[in-house]
Amino acid sequence: MKSVEFFLLVAALLFTIGCVGVLVRRNAIVILMCIELMLNAVNLTFAAFAHESQSMAGHVFVFFVMTVAAAEAAVGLAIVIALFRRRRTTDVDDASLMRW
Amino acid sequence: MVVRLLLGLIFVLVAFAVVRALAPARAALAGIVLGAGAVVLVALNRQAITSVEFWAGLVGFAAILSALMIVIHPNPMVSVLFLIVNLFSVALFYLILNAQFLAAIQVIVYAGAIMVLFLFVVMLLNLKAEEGLRGGGGPQRYGAVILGGLFAGLMFHALRNRGPRPYFEPGSFDSGFGTARELGRLLFTRYLFAFEAASLLLIAAMIGAVVLAKRRLR
Repeated sequence: MKSVEFFLLVAALLFTIGCVGVLVRRNAIVILMCIELMLNAVNLTFAAFAHESQSMAGHVFVFFVMTVAAAEAAVGLAIVIALFRRRRTTDVDDASLMRW
Repeated sequence: MVVRLLLGLIFVLVAFAVVRALAPARAALAGIVLGAGAVVLVALNRQAITSVEFWAGLVGFAAILSALMIVIHPNPMVSVLFLIVNLFSVALFYLILNAQFLAAIQVIVYAGAIMVLFLFVVMLLNLKAEEGLRGGGGPQRYGAVILGGLFAGLMFHALRNRGPRPYFEPGSFDSGFGTARELGRLLFTRYLFAFEAASLLLIAAMIGAVVLAKRRLR
């Protein structure tokens, strides 16, 4: 596989789908999953460019993005559990106290 | 050729999404439309079956299909399962791109640890299938779809007009590319500070998660 355009195309589509999912869905857990989807699309782009330029720096960045994704998932899911304890819901429209 | 096949499959996916949106109760009908379209496309591209590109295209198809299912399925449980399919597809892409170690940690950390966390929370909260895409949202929905389409167009434009490709002579090929050994060497020399900062980040996230999920939140 010499050309990486195909991988960039798939990554762009995955990122767009995740972006639309964050904007469209109202369930906090699904929104977190769509964020994971977007992070994965960016990781795929990093790996594709690393393969094209034969440089390992892209792989290091994928490694750090995975670390941040793990931290984000842990904190985000803890917030969802706390929200569910207080309000009995995971709908982000019901947690709008701090929104303008 | 592979791009043509992929574009055809994406067209089939759009048809699938339209059928699902118009007839929500007829999941089987939408599945038949999807399967028939995919079979016709593969039959039209018979000679491509033996190439790596074809299988890469198939994995890409699985990745995009599962991503769409995450977004359009009303049940969060099913979304989690499709996200696992998507993560495995991306792991296969890493293998094709010579990133063996990344493929391994993708399966172990992402599909293993993080997805178990998601599954655990979905089961713990005992969420019912919600309205999904069809109820709620309001005008934000249409704006999101339009902006998403514009964003995809922007990305395709950027792909079309990339700068000069990096020069790479085949003689300098490094057989250590993508191995855990090479990644570890980079992590502990050039990116040592970032590595330590990541460990600090993980500790902070761990403490934050424990504090947030404690029984009494004031």
